Amino acid sequence: MLLPLWGPHLGGGCVQPGQVAGPQRVEIHKLRQGENLILGFSIGGGIDQDPSQNPFSEDKTDKGIYVTRVSEGGPAEIAGLQIGDKIMQVNGWDMTMVTHDQARKRLTKRSEEVVRLLVTRQSLQKAVQQSMLS
Amino acid sequence: MFSRNHRSRVTVARGSALEMEFKRGRFRLSLLSDPPEDTELQRKLDHEIRMREGACKLLAACSQREQALEATKSLLVCNSRILNYMGELQRRKEAQVLKKTGRRPSDSGPHTERSPCRGQICISDLRIPLMWKDTEYFKNKGDLHRWAVFLLLQIGEHIQDTEMILVDRTLTDISFQNNVLFAEAGPDFELRLELYGACVEEEGALAGAPKRLATKLSSSLGRSSGRRVRASLETAGGSGSSPILLPTPAVGGPRYHLLAHTTLTLAAVQDGFRTHDLTLAAPEENPAWLPLYGSVCCRLVAQPLCMTQPTASGTLRVQQAGEPRDWVQVHGVLKGTNLFCYRQPEDTAPGAEPLFTIAINKDTQVRAGELDQAAGGPFTLSIRNQDGEEEVIHTLQAESRGALQSWMEALWQLFFDMSQWKQCCDEIMKIETPAPRKPPQVLAKQGSLYHEMAIEPLDDIAAVTDILAQREGARLETPPPWLAMFTDQPALPGPCSPASVAPAPTRIHSLPWGRPRTFSLDAVPPDHSPGASRLVAPLPLQRSPRSRGLCSKGPPHTWLQSPV
Repeated sequence: MLLPLWGPHLGGGCVQPGQVAGPQRVEIHKLRQGENLILGFSIGGGIDQDPSQNPFSEDKTDKGIYVTRVSEGGPAEIAGLQIGDKIMQVNGWDMTMVTHDQARKRLTKRSEEVVRLLVTRQSLQKAVQQSMLS
Repeated sequence: MFSRNHRSRVTVARGSALEMEFKRGRFRLSLLSDPPEDTELQRKLDHEIRMREGACKLLAACSQREQALEATKSLLVCNSRILNYMGELQRRKEAQVLKKTGRRPSDSGPHTERSPCRGQICISDLRIPLMWKDTEYFKNKGDLHRWAVFLLLQIGEHIQDTEMILVDRTLTDISFQNNVLFAEAGPDFELRLELYGACVEEEGALAGAPKRLATKLSSSLGRSSGRRVRASLETAGGSGSSPILLPTPAVGGPRYHLLAHTTLTLAAVQDGFRTHDLTLAAPEENPAWLPLYGSVCCRLVAQPLCMTQPTASGTLRVQQAGEPRDWVQVHGVLKGTNLFCYRQPEDTAPGAEPLFTIAINKDTQVRAGELDQAAGGPFTLSIRNQDGEEEVIHTLQAESRGALQSWMEALWQLFFDMSQWKQCCDEIMKIETPAPRKPPQVLAKQGSLYHEMAIEPLDDIAAVTDILAQREGARLETPPPWLAMFTDQPALPGPCSPASVAPAPTRIHSLPWGRPRTFSLDAVPPDHSPGASRLVAPLPLQRSPRSRGLCSKGPPHTWLQSPV
């Protein structure tokens, strides 16, 4: 497995698992594998998908894009992306109102070697929710 | 295409030389000699043939299903009129030939045979009740089956059609607003009423669309199905046969099927609404089959000309029985069941009152001749009416023998007409002048308001279940357990919305999302809860925050995962 030259401490945001500090910024540097540039995670969700089957969302009507799997040692894990994260933006493009295929395409543009994601975590979502209920 | 040869007296047999000439489009009756009265018929026939060509061209150019339905309907009406006129011309030709060869037709000369006067027949307020079964609601969730229906009405050689109406299961009756008027009908008329229907949607999603539209559609489908459709298009085109997407028949366009028919005669005429039985013609397997209740309500009235037009007028001297010396000179006008006696001929202007009126109805007795030579003199006739116990006799004196003869003739004709037109002569039945037929307007989809809005594939499952829950809400104590899966707040774009996990026991509140899903049960929502009324109000489209994605049908069942 090829490790990128940069370590996890370099890159966009300071992401620490478990901390609640607003939406997280994750900068992933794609890895070249043969002809493809891979990020090393999987996504689920989309406005054309059935949100009730999303195991990661608190709100079962949430049709957003979620991280369903993070490859061990891949660029995403290195950048600090976690399973269950909800992806809000990719390089400034909104990901909360896209179809599954549109989301996939936005992440796998061949011209981009780096993608900057804006994600939120479950812990954050719970906190916001609790603050609204009280 | 429907064939109507079995009903009319058309002798144009299928495959006959006459029909072949017609099919070749070179139909001219120049081969047959045209008496003057036939030129009118010929003119009408030419007009219909031109209309038919126009309708064919329009049909070929149609891209939308609803336009095609209108064009097909025009085409069918033209066809049936053409067949009718051709049959009529043929019949007249045959009658001529018979006359020429010396064989007289069975009826004798006109002077011995009395024919009843013509009349106007008007049929209006046509309503055909439907009987939807429960299964219809549950069979096609979310799809609204629609049918296009219209009526063909025929008396003799006159064929008229109603407007085309779109029917779906939200309608309990098919109602036609038209007033159909037939100008010249005899009391022995047979009004044939036929209901034709066609499906608005096709079985396949692409059947019926012209080729370019189909290519556009196929490219916007998903990859695999688009590939399949394109492949089938290519193979069909390449093999030289007609593309599979153009439907039969050869002209192209939707197919209308005869759904029901009935024949109305004088017995059905009444100044009021009546229900008549319909004979159902299409079996349930027919794609255009509709659950007809089996009857048709309408108002069928007739106005014989003798009731609305004056049939005789002239100067008379009238003497009422019991007043032997009192002869009054009047201008009499025989109209309908009355002999109006005016002081002056000029008094017959509308609005003027006659001096007196003598009733002439089916109980009146008229006797010509000199009852009382001394009193009346020659050229008299007496009219006797029974008014309860009383008997009223009027004696009329005409100016000359000829005048008397024509008065008698008019009265005899009136009595004959009354015997033929029967109940139509009791009182004048009102015919409303039919409003000018509106041009075929944009055919809005009928049904609930929801169907007017764009089909939105992004409807929340929660919206649907909430509608159901609200219907159930009045009856259920606690919400069913499956409701726990859904919350009552949708995900809004931007910051995450809170999700209330436990549904409240009675969740009767306004819906925060844009528009409820188009759903068959939406059509007439029972107003169980105060909040439910908001379901019916048309919601502005801007409130829907969704982006317009793919046009998918039905809720998504998958939750795909893709590696990136």
